[in-house]
This record gives sequence, structure tokens and C-alpha cells, in this order.
Amino acid sequence: MKNTIKNIAALFLIFIFSGSLANAQGWTVPNSAKKKQNPYEATSKNVSTGKKIYNLHCKSCHGDPTIANMLPLAPVAPTDLGAQNFLVQSDGEIYYKVNKGQGAMPTFEKTISDEDKWMVIAFLRSFDKNKKVKQQVAEVKNPEVTDVKLELNVNEANKTLLAKLSGVTKKGKRVGLQGIEMSFLVKRSFGYLDVSGEDPYTNEKGDVKVQFPADLPGDREGQVNMLVKVTDDDFYGKLEEARVVTLGVPTDPVNPLDERAMWGTRANAPIWIIVTFVGGVLAIWSVIFLVLFQMIKLPKLAKSKD
Amino acid sequence: MNDLPKQKETNLSFEKIKKDILHPMQNHKGLELWIVFLITVISVCGWAYYIQLKDGLGVTGMRDYVSWGLYIANFVFFVAVSLVGMLISSILGLLRIDWITPISRIAEIIAVAFVAVAGLVIVLDMGRPDRVLNVMIHGRFQSPILWDVTVITTYLTVSALLLILPMIPDLAICKKELTKASPIMKKLYNILSLGYINTPEQHKHLHKMIRTLMVLIVPIGLAIHTVTSWLFAATLRNGWDTTIFGPYFVAGAFVAGSAALIIAMYFFRVNYKLQDYITDLQFDKMGKLLVAVCLVYLYFNLNEFLVPGYKMKTGDDIHLKELFYGNWAIMFWASQLLGNIIPIILLVNKKFRKPLPIMIISLFVLAGAWFKRYVIVIPTMLHPHLPIQNVPENFVHYYPSAIEISVTVLSFALVLLIITVLSKIFPVVPIVETAESKGIEVKIDA
Repeated sequence: MKNTIKNIAALFLIFIFSGSLANAQGWTVPNSAKKKQNPYEATSKNVSTGKKIYNLHCKSCHGDPTIANMLPLAPVAPTDLGAQNFLVQSDGEIYYKVNKGQGAMPTFEKTISDEDKWMVIAFLRSFDKNKKVKQQVAEVKNPEVTDVKLELNVNEANKTLLAKLSGVTKKGKRVGLQGIEMSFLVKRSFGYLDVSGEDPYTNEKGDVKVQFPADLPGDREGQVNMLVKVTDDDFYGKLEEARVVTLGVPTDPVNPLDERAMWGTRANAPIWIIVTFVGGVLAIWSVIFLVLFQMIKLPKLAKSKD
Repeated sequence: MNDLPKQKETNLSFEKIKKDILHPMQNHKGLELWIVFLITVISVCGWAYYIQLKDGLGVTGMRDYVSWGLYIANFVFFVAVSLVGMLISSILGLLRIDWITPISRIAEIIAVAFVAVAGLVIVLDMGRPDRVLNVMIHGRFQSPILWDVTVITTYLTVSALLLILPMIPDLAICKKELTKASPIMKKLYNILSLGYINTPEQHKHLHKMIRTLMVLIVPIGLAIHTVTSWLFAATLRNGWDTTIFGPYFVAGAFVAGSAALIIAMYFFRVNYKLQDYITDLQFDKMGKLLVAVCLVYLYFNLNEFLVPGYKMKTGDDIHLKELFYGNWAIMFWASQLLGNIIPIILLVNKKFRKPLPIMIISLFVLAGAWFKRYVIVIPTMLHPHLPIQNVPENFVHYYPSAIEISVTVLSFALVLLIITVLSKIFPVVPIVETAESKGIEVKIDA
């Protein structure tokens, strides 16, 4: 009974808040859209996936949830998506707003898949203080450990990467840490390419095995810069292992600046434009010098008359 | 004041021509005062340039959006005006049009003065003018900038030669007649006249050289303004991204140059009392020429604005609406109407082709031409394809600063000073050619 009253009160508050919020921002969401529920459970895997997607698509403007380090845009700054006055909205409302966008907030209807959007909402819900979501199902509990180590084994023949995450328990025994998400990243010109695959979570031994893509270009020797890390620093602090591995396809890099082109350096100017320029300058200036040279003849011609 | 040339022709002798043309060079009292005035203006505005040099281009109104402002608009205008040298003394000269004889030298003086200062305006627009040589040393053949620098230098050289070479017989006369000239000037006349005494061989040789240069300057003249247009047309910006920009600029240049020539003709005629030489006939013909080039320019304008205006494609629409009825409408329509359409309507009438009315009309045409360049350069820069986020307010508007205006005034004063000095030391009307065209015997003593 008490709970029912609480729930009704909470719902009432949510209603008031969301109403005033929608009015304040002038962003009304159709009732049908509000009713939508997140079809995905708030498992730690989903939340962690949501965090990754959030960091990729949302963080650049909205900043970190609850930290309020959003981009200071005018006239309306992006909302802190971890703030309680944002999270009073229903899943459906957030989903609708992400889809449609408004003003500086772009639409993500086509750019992010529905599943990913719900993952983001699941991630944001993890900051919600009011809403006691059904607790994460079948969470794996790792023992408390110290001296967490990340080991990386590379099998170049099979192009597989095996990472092992382990820690020392209080009893002094080194055990594998289970259910932790790892990221397998390859350095690109800008940022990293994630090659972790579908299920980069450690198994009960603390192992995670990832198949390196067969067609990823490396340098001339096929080398790539590999970075393997525990995705979420919150668990055991920053744990990562960087290594140069020979798993890529050997590739001779083509620099568009190396060929003769209009966009090239002067040394790589197209032949025809050099010929036209130099030829034109030479032709015209040789005539000019010819005329200048002929001017010298003028005084001589006066004497020849005498 | 009876200016009809046919009645005057009989009264002219070689001695009178010499006297009429050479006399004002040394005995014009206002001229020194005018030169002092120009030098004062240049000194005052030079101080503005010193500030720009000291503090950098931040003292101008130019920001990240409008990085080509007043200076570049002015540069394009100067290049345009300088093209009159090629139009008058070369194209009409090669066609053996005889009425240009007395005004061809004025046209050439204008060409030299404007193209020389046009090159300087580019340097004035540089934040680090000490690095100007890098354009030559490291310039890319693919960049219109290198072509522009090259072609302007070449045009200046050939224009200077086309000023000096036809003047050699006159300089030989100056050497003899201008007894009051300073020793330096006498030396200059002596060197530049190259011992010319008008022997048949010398005459033939000289005219062969002149004709070579006349042919040579046609492609250079076309190139100078076509390449200047490429500075704009080689980009993808709205309003610049058009295939007719080369001929459009050349046509506009003929308009601006002809107007400048008419104004200069009027002032030389009045101040140097050259009514017998720069007659109503020259003004009448120049008026007709101005109408002709204005019509060509109008035709290009129709193409330039009507076709994109009909389509109004994305990007162009903002630009064109700004010009047609937006912030730039007054400047745009004033330059089109006062600088082109109304002058055409007026100059079709014979009475408007008299010296004073045509000079006043030409002032409007020239001012219109200047504002037209401003409208070509700046509105396009204000609408980039990729606008800056949270762009500062002073990026999205452009008002030239006082420093910028002063430096532009400096460039104008410099042009006028060059024209004045050249017209003080050199005869503005060709003595020998005028006499020859009137069938008067020419005698130049050794």
C-alpha cells in the first residue's frame, strides 16, 4: 500500500516535472510516443554498450552525464543528460527526442540504430535516482582483487588476439576476472578503429578472444598499432596494453600528394600547366627582350645616315 | 571656342604643335601645388599603413569570413582600369583608327599608373609584405596567384615600353626644346630619345618595334584580367563559381578604363589647354566607344545574374537575394543603373557626348565600376559554404576600418601622382604623331 502511494506520488511528480520541462523547452512529445518502454533490459552489458554509443554520438555536445560539462552553446546549451530533471522523462520521450532532434540537437533517426538508441537510454537510466529499475539480471560478481593485470597474447598465424584479465584475491590467489568488457582498438590516422567484435567480455577464466579482421590494411610490413584495454576504467582503473602487431594486410600507402595533380605541391604540378606557364612566360619575355635589344639599334641607325 | 578640327587643321604648324603641347608642361602653376597636395595625402595615409604594418592586419575590418576586403576589390578595379591602354593604343591602334592619336598616350599613362599601383595594392594587403618574393620562389604553377603576379609584372613592363617607344621622337624634341628643364630631366630625355633624329630607317625600325609590342600586349591584356577573374572563378564560392568570369571581367575592364580615360582627357584638355588636340571629336568617339563596351558589359551582367537568378540553386539563392533586395541591393542596383544602364541611355544622345557632360557621366561610370568590384568580392565572402559555429558577430559583417580606407586613399593618390608626374615630364599628346596625322612635315634636329 505504502509503495503504491509512493509510486503514484512519484508518477505525479514526474508528470508535473515533465510537463513544465516540455513547456520550458517548447518541445512537446506526442502521447503515443511517451508510452514507449525500453525493450532492452538494463544489464551491465547493455549499459556499457550504451556508454560506448553515448561517448561516440552524444558526448561531444552533452558532455559526461551528471558532470554538466556540456558545450556552452547559445542560446540553449545542451542538457546534462545525467541530471535528474532530464531523467524524469519517460523512455519514450527521450527516444522520441533523440529521433527527431530540435534546433541544434540533430536527428538520429537514421544515423543510430533503434537498438543502439535504447542502449543509450539504458545507460542514461543508470544515473536515474528516482527510478528503481529492475536490478541487473544475473550479475557476475568478481571477488575483490588487487594487482589487476592485463596480458595480451597474439597469434599471428590465426590472426587472433587473446587478452587475459586477472587479479590477486585476498587469499593471494591469482584469478581470472569474469564479464568485464574489453576494447580491441587499432590506431587510425585519427582515433581508433574498434575491432572488438560482438562479444568482447571476459569468460570465467578472465579470457577474451578476438578475431582480427582479415582485410584490415597495415603498413608495408602489415604492422598495426594495437591497443587493448578494459573498456570501462571504473572497474579497476586504467588498464591497457599497447603493442605493434603484424596482423594487417601489408599495404603500400598511396599519398595523393605524391602524384602530379592540381592539388599537389609545386614539384608535383601537372606537366601541362608547367609547360603552359613556363612556355608562355618564355615566349612573351623573349619578345620583350627582343624589342629591348632592338632599341639599341636606334642610335646606330642615326649615324648610318651621316 | 570653336573646336571643330577641320577648321583648325590649317592653322596648325609643327612649331605651334610643339609650343602648345610642351608649354604647359613647364609653365603650369597649379601643377606643383597639386603634386604637393598628393604627396601630403600619401604621407598622411602612409602613416595609416605604418600602423597596419606594425600591428598587423587585425587593424583592418577583415576577419576569418571576409579575408578579401576593400583592398582586393580595389586591386581588381585598378587592374580593370589599366586595361584601357591595351584597348585604345593597341586594339584601336592596330585597326588604324586615327582619332585615337592624341589620346593614346594618356591611355598608356593611365595603364602604367594603375597597373603599377595594382601590384602595390596586393603588397599593401599582405600581413607580411617582406615575404612577397616567396610568391615567386615557392609559388605553385597550379595557383592563379602566381599567374596573376607574373602577368601583372609583364603587363606593366610592356605598357611602360608602349608608353616610352612611341614617345621617342617626342623625347628627341623635348631634348631640344625644353631648355629650362633640370639637368636630370635633360639627361633622361637624352637617354630615352636614343639618338632619334627621324631618319627613314629609324622611323621604320621604331614602328616595327611598336607594332610588335601592340600585338604582344593583346594576349597579355586579356590574360591580366582573365587571370584576375580566375582568382575568384577557380573557387567554388557562390557568385564566383561561373564560367563567364574571364570575359565578364574583361568587358567590365573596358568600361572602367574608357570612363577613366574620358575623365583624364577632360582634365588634360582643360588644364593643359589642349582644346585644339583633344577635341570634341575625341569625346564624341569615346562616348560611342563607352556605349559599345557598356552594352557588352550589360549583356554579360544579364547572363551573370539572370541565369543563376532564374535557377536560384541552393547557396546561390542567399547570395543573389542579398544582392537583389537584401543588404547589398542599394550598392548593387546603383552600380548597375548609375554605372551602366543610365549612362548608356544618356550617351546615345549626341549632346551628352560633349566634353563636360560625358566627363560627369564617366565619373558615375567609374564610381559604379569601383562599387561593382566591391559587390563582386565581399558579399560572396560573407556566405561561406561551411559557416563557423558560434561565429563572432564581427565576422559576419564587414565594414572597412579607417586604416583600410586610408590605405586605399593612398593607392588612389599614388595613381594620381604617377599620372601627374608622367604628364609633367612627358608630353601628354604625341607631338610627332599628331603632326604626321595632319600631314605636317616633322623636323627633328640632331
